Amino acid sequence: MRDLAHLDLGLLVAAAGLSLLGILLTWSATTATSGSSFAVRGALNVAVGMALAFAVLRLDARTLRAAVPLAYLAGVLGLLAVLSPLGSTINGSRSWIELPGFSVQPAEIAKVALGLALASALADTDQVRGALARRDVRVGLGLAAVPLALIMAQPDLGSALVVTAMAVSAFAVAGLRARVFAWLFAAAVAVAVLAFTTPLLAQYQRDRLLAFWRPEADPSGIGYQVAQVKLAIGSGGWFGQGLFEGRSTQGGFIPFQYTDFVFSVAGEELGFVGALGIVALEMFVVVRTLVIGIRSRDAFGRILCGAIAGWFLFQSVENIGMNLGLMPVTGVPLPFVSYGGSSMFSCWIAVGLVGNVHAASRRRIS
Amino acid sequence: MLAVFAIILSLFTWQLVKVQWIQADEIAQKATNNRLTTSKVPAARGEITDSAGTVLARSVERRDVAGDPVAAKSFRERSTNGKPKGIDGVSQELARILGGDAAEIRATFERADARDTRFVYLAKDISPAQWSQIRALDLPGITSEQVQKREYPQGTALAPLLGSVNAQDVPGGGIEQMLNTTLQGKAGLHQVERARNGSEIATGENLDRKPVAGRGAKLTIDSDLQWFAQNELAAQVKSSKAVSGEIVVADKAGNILVAASYPSFDNNDMSTAKSENLQNRAFTDTFEPGSTQKMVTAGAVLEEGIMTPKSHVEVPPSLKRAGRPFHDSHPHPTEYLTFAGVIAQSSNIGTILAGEKLPKEKLYTYMKKFGLGEATGIGFPGESTGIVPKVSTWKGDTWYTIMFGQGLASSAVQQVGLFQAIANGGVREPLKLVSEVQGGDGAMQPYTDERKSTRVFSAKTSKELVGMMQGVVTKDGSAPKAAVPGYDVAGKTSTAERYDSVKGGYDGVTAGFIGMAPAKDPQLIVSVTLQRPQAGTFGGDLAAPVFSKVMAEALRQRKIPPNKSDKLPFPIKYRSEESTSK
Repeated sequence: MRDLAHLDLGLLVAAAGLSLLGILLTWSATTATSGSSFAVRGALNVAVGMALAFAVLRLDARTLRAAVPLAYLAGVLGLLAVLSPLGSTINGSRSWIELPGFSVQPAEIAKVALGLALASALADTDQVRGALARRDVRVGLGLAAVPLALIMAQPDLGSALVVTAMAVSAFAVAGLRARVFAWLFAAAVAVAVLAFTTPLLAQYQRDRLLAFWRPEADPSGIGYQVAQVKLAIGSGGWFGQGLFEGRSTQGGFIPFQYTDFVFSVAGEELGFVGALGIVALEMFVVVRTLVIGIRSRDAFGRILCGAIAGWFLFQSVENIGMNLGLMPVTGVPLPFVSYGGSSMFSCWIAVGLVGNVHAASRRRIS
Repeated sequence: MLAVFAIILSLFTWQLVKVQWIQADEIAQKATNNRLTTSKVPAARGEITDSAGTVLARSVERRDVAGDPVAAKSFRERSTNGKPKGIDGVSQELARILGGDAAEIRATFERADARDTRFVYLAKDISPAQWSQIRALDLPGITSEQVQKREYPQGTALAPLLGSVNAQDVPGGGIEQMLNTTLQGKAGLHQVERARNGSEIATGENLDRKPVAGRGAKLTIDSDLQWFAQNELAAQVKSSKAVSGEIVVADKAGNILVAASYPSFDNNDMSTAKSENLQNRAFTDTFEPGSTQKMVTAGAVLEEGIMTPKSHVEVPPSLKRAGRPFHDSHPHPTEYLTFAGVIAQSSNIGTILAGEKLPKEKLYTYMKKFGLGEATGIGFPGESTGIVPKVSTWKGDTWYTIMFGQGLASSAVQQVGLFQAIANGGVREPLKLVSEVQGGDGAMQPYTDERKSTRVFSAKTSKELVGMMQGVVTKDGSAPKAAVPGYDVAGKTSTAERYDSVKGGYDGVTAGFIGMAPAKDPQLIVSVTLQRPQAGTFGGDLAAPVFSKVMAEALRQRKIPPNKSDKLPFPIKYRSEESTSK
């Protein structure tokens, strides 16, 4: 119980609230075809995620720092395993490892590992006038590049973008010269151009990104999904049609609605109030994470929180943005809300890490 | 940093407001239209019964089963119990209940899938019980439509009278068409929001407007008698090698008990029906009536007091009128017949000798009084009016031929109307096919129309005509084969030259017999007509035996007591041929 007192209550409540909403929305989206089985699995995922978070929370700083290389190694090994014959392909991506009874998405674990590794690497540096030394930049980029390359090999564009966002925010918090940022940005643009002009991206990924611009062009594929999501959210009105009452949702018009498009369930069934509530809660989680990071006295905690905030921010913005038709469709889950064990576990582990940073600052103060 | 959050938050908020408030109505409507499927729920059609309440046509609920090959593929998708999955599994489940071949259903599915069609009929006309069994299986993509199937228990025996209805409830002829506004119900509406896989969304806005069933009708028809008549007719058309035939039975009050037409069709299976057989020939076929028409001429002569049944008519072997010779059907020396004898032997010459004493206009007026050349007013679809040329158009020998029924055309039903008036003491009753229809409250109400009964002849004239016609059914008359044991029968043969509209000239004959019984107080009128028989010619040979059987059956069924006197009311001859030779 001593640990609980050190935990940031706001973050816990927001994350738990989002998780609870996620279970309900998943239940609603799957009840017509599967009854309550997805809801039960979702609740189990949240419970396991919370247990992991508490376990991480209880680690003292030294143990945590010592475990970083191990965690990074585990993350990279997971990504290598998924490319080996152990991995299985779902929806065009080789992203899952099937285990008896459940499947694991190593990219989600890699996010946690990368956050820890970047925090560790960029914190232990001799800073020159508040900016990173060139060597540290190279080490950081190297640490980010390995999982990024492995994730792109799956290929999983969504996770790759998340990993990139994590690296960017970690560097930003650690202190990177604007000039170097500009170079990196230019490189990113070059990669994007290459992605669309060379076979670097898989055809389905290019189709997805292009469908964002012309949703009607492909009414049965991604465009269909985008159009149906808009119809569902637009049918919600101010207060929604009611949980378990949304007709687009109950009618199964949106494929995989309980994972990447769970926000549209809220839009239809809980309306403007519910949808905006989710946006607010997600933003609160990000802000809270940032605030804890800023208040942290040591660079490790600061950079770790920065990386996690970047991760949650990017995923929230991308996921809600694609639900609202403001962003192209790439498969990233909505933190805490989307159904999916690996994502739920990694998000809650991140909450545990942020709580750990918070507890460390609190202990130092007291 | 704060600015970034403000921008993101306001961007999302703005988009939510835009989608969920500003465009909400439009989007929600579009979404609803996307899901909404409207289907018609067919109304049950009114039942048609005969005069005894026997069902002649009824509607039964059936289901047409349709499938979506895309949805069917998801059947037992994640099942590991080794049972057949997807389309194969769905097909086997359906075949198990419907009793068909699973491979056939699967092939139908696969053809639809190959065409990228997500809707294909898998089975038609299944029973509601079968459908509830199928529905209980909750097979993906399997839906059904309610349909009303029309059943005609008597099939071919009444098909030309009843007609048919197609799957869209559109009538094809007969009573079905004639009483369509009564029989046809009002379709209901079933509006449901459907899920992507075709199943109904439980929470959706569903609209149900119950169908309103059509109203029933009771006919004057006696289906047992019609069945009997149809069989006799079919047998005689075949054995006489005729192209077609019709039998009409009516009672004295003008109720049509039988309107049989052969060749017929099966209105339960319209795919086998030939279009030329869809009509009811008793109403639609017009032909030159021939000698039955002599009763109009004879009646007019009696009514006008020109002759009596016992008046003497000396009938020469041949008679020259309008520049041509007229003969009788069988060559004979000069005969000394009573006027009754002229009718009994169906002498054309005798009829001319009697009829020419009557002004042309008078004859025409009587024909019109009998309703010849006009529709009966029953309203039967395709009923023909027949042709009665105006007096001003009578050229050459027309006047003479009309006296014995050539040069004008009428239908069997119209000829029956003529005999009905004679049987009914000279009062012509409107012929009726429908006795009652169901009212809006469900109770049966008498079916009435504007038509009125009219007197054509006096009772005395009618009685004399019946008496004269009794002579027909004797060994001295033209139709001894029309006799019905135990009853006095009055009737008239006809053997008319048959105009073939395709060939544009006369070809073959129409052989007929119309009669009534019991002669003392006629209750029933039976008309038998055979078109263009090849084996045999005369109405007395071909139609009279059928008349005899049908009349005997009708009298028996209606429990009309036998009534037979051995004496004819009028003599046939006033002097024998032998006495002239002396």
